[in-house]
Amino acid sequence: MDRLTFCTFLIFLFLPAWASAGDTSSPPLTAINVHSLGPEQVGNLPPVIVPVDNPQTSAKILLGKKLYFDTRLSADNTVSCATCHDPALGWSDAGPTSKGIKSQLGGRRAPPVVNAAYAPLQFWDGRAPTLEEQAKGPIANPIEMGNTHQVMINTLEGIQGYEDEFKAVFGTSPITLDQVAQAIAAYERTVVTTDSPFDRYVRGDQVAMTGLEKKGLEIFNGKGHCTACHWGGYFSDGRFHNLGVAPAPGATPDEGRYAITKNPPDMGAFKTPTVRDAAKRPPYLHNGTEKTLMTVIELYDRGGGTEAANLDPLMVPLGLSEKEMIALEAFMKRAMVSLNPSVADEKPIPASEFPK
Amino acid sequence: MKKIISVFIVLAGVLLMLPDTSSAIPAFARKYGFNCNMCHTAFTKLNDFGQRVRQHGYQIPGQEGFEKNVFATPIPLAMRTSMGLVVGGNDSTTTSSFNINGLDILAAGVLHKNISFLLIYTPRIDEPAGDYTGSNNGANPSQLGALESASLVFSNLVPDLLNVRVGRFEPAYHAISSKRIYYLISPFEIYAYGTGNNSFVFDDNQMGIEVTGNSRVGFHYAAGVVNGNGPNPDNNKGKDLYLTMHQIIGRGEGQSAGQRIGVFGYYGWQPTILDSLMGPMGENEGGGNKTFYRIGGDISLNWRTFNLRALFMQGIDDKALNPLDTADDYEFNGGLVELDWAGLYNNRLIASAMVNWVNPPCGDNDKQVLAYSALIRYNLGDWTAVNVALHAEYLHREIGKDNPFKDDIVALMLDFAF
Repeated sequence: MDRLTFCTFLIFLFLPAWASAGDTSSPPLTAINVHSLGPEQVGNLPPVIVPVDNPQTSAKILLGKKLYFDTRLSADNTVSCATCHDPALGWSDAGPTSKGIKSQLGGRRAPPVVNAAYAPLQFWDGRAPTLEEQAKGPIANPIEMGNTHQVMINTLEGIQGYEDEFKAVFGTSPITLDQVAQAIAAYERTVVTTDSPFDRYVRGDQVAMTGLEKKGLEIFNGKGHCTACHWGGYFSDGRFHNLGVAPAPGATPDEGRYAITKNPPDMGAFKTPTVRDAAKRPPYLHNGTEKTLMTVIELYDRGGGTEAANLDPLMVPLGLSEKEMIALEAFMKRAMVSLNPSVADEKPIPASEFPK
Repeated sequence: MKKIISVFIVLAGVLLMLPDTSSAIPAFARKYGFNCNMCHTAFTKLNDFGQRVRQHGYQIPGQEGFEKNVFATPIPLAMRTSMGLVVGGNDSTTTSSFNINGLDILAAGVLHKNISFLLIYTPRIDEPAGDYTGSNNGANPSQLGALESASLVFSNLVPDLLNVRVGRFEPAYHAISSKRIYYLISPFEIYAYGTGNNSFVFDDNQMGIEVTGNSRVGFHYAAGVVNGNGPNPDNNKGKDLYLTMHQIIGRGEGQSAGQRIGVFGYYGWQPTILDSLMGPMGENEGGGNKTFYRIGGDISLNWRTFNLRALFMQGIDDKALNPLDTADDYEFNGGLVELDWAGLYNNRLIASAMVNWVNPPCGDNDKQVLAYSALIRYNLGDWTAVNVALHAEYLHREIGKDNPFKDDIVALMLDFAF
């Protein structure tokens, strides 16, 4: 056996080990919920998965709804969850980025609460693994609700109505931060849209979508490459991508997911938002720099924004024609907008109905 | 009788020159729920996204390890064939025949994060019927049974910079792939050109090892060590080597966006003596190996949905392989220029024009080729992982320099994969 042959033999021998090197974290197949892997075909939303340690009850959902709309959770009684996650604004806000306590501007816009129950990780950077953990964050964020968790608990305990409701729902007292988070998360798991024209079309109603919208769907799942990330019933992979989006004028660059993982490929990457009901919540992207759905489409058509340093490899120019862009916009503008009245028309709780 | 023989020769010629277009892998589209245009500008030509998926070992780029592997999906099988009417004519003869243009059975998938495979089997097809039932019954199949591809890909051994492909595969020196083109009856003539004593075929798949990689600034490379191909013994000790380098300018891969320019080179050995010694796998040992090489450059330019691509190649065979004059090397060159356009929603309509040429050395002028082709294709339906294309193609070809043999071929076909 000459030297070249021997070297080739060694390469063959060690290739598989080399290929899987550094992959020790991958669980065996039997331990993976394969449905969390994708991409998968776009379709209807499956039922919401409820964590076993926070079962849904009517009383808990109602309590959560009251907390969601109650500004008393903030330091100066001016900001509630609904301030930035407003049902009337697609469960987000007017943007471009969100305004918190004392009119302080955040660096990102509020992700929509609608269908957030399907997101595997919460926040634009995925720093919260559950809705419960997410609900705790803004309360203590100095530029969002500006409170501390303990002061917020003290406030609630000082309201007899809340004290009674928490005791009725959870059977214990005093009120805890986890109980507040569980109640809000339980309510948010009801904010789900399942009845858009697209959903009806998938269920067999051939006239639920117009011809133009059907063409838009074809492009969405084809030449537009949208389903590379916006896949499944949730129309999102729940993963993190760098679209090359430049900071808003005057803003500092945002590290995105990198701030959490310190993994270089995550630099400037943000979570894929769902396309469901996107038409209800302009402007777009994590910093609200794209004003309309059409400008978002144009951004993708160019192959991403101007910040190319860590651009996601999924981003390539698309070569869309103007007609194709119009079809895509039509699909997202009407066919992906929910018809669920209980979600779309959710009204804030009148002040008179808050616990006293 | 003479006419029948002419018909037979023309038809056999048409069938033999049908390009071996094999790679469209609806199993992936089925796995992901994608429309085929996710990876293809239009079936069958890869777009930039599809090119990156292929480069990443058939994984979604950047998402390695986060997709279902072959054990978590239905059996990843796919098939492709095309069929229809082929009408051929020259000064003396006109023929027409319904034909099946081969059948490819493909399986491909991800075995594990960064380990994937591709198998392509082409079954033997004895059609057309005249050949199948006549005196040459079964002696001249339109397609031989063969394992066209059987390769494993080990991706991201060094992220982006090093991937290894092992087995039988389409080598990367096909910068413009003849496997994923719209044309069904028009081959890339320079790829198919055979010299007198060298059985090497440029666009046949190869067995060996290939390494590929790319940088973040658009530089791509590929290098390989392979047996060489053709019917002559290919287990000679002198393995063939190749290297390609490409630079992408702008975003994309140069397939449907960005501009790509590159060079390629292939250095091979061909035996001149058939020894009776047998290799461990049963082949004859080839002896008296002589060298040959192919070098060239290619470019792919994109504007909106237009893609203009061109390739030029120079071939030089050692004088020992020159059937004309053993005192001189055998030198030839040729190339192609192809202009594709995609239109209508989701690129359903494709139009293309192409010119091919081959210039052999003096003394071999009978092998000079000049060919013009044009096609129009329309992809039916918006189906996940199913393609049916209506295909009309015209080819005019002139072979020989002084008194060229001219033929014209029109094909009306259905091209489908699922």
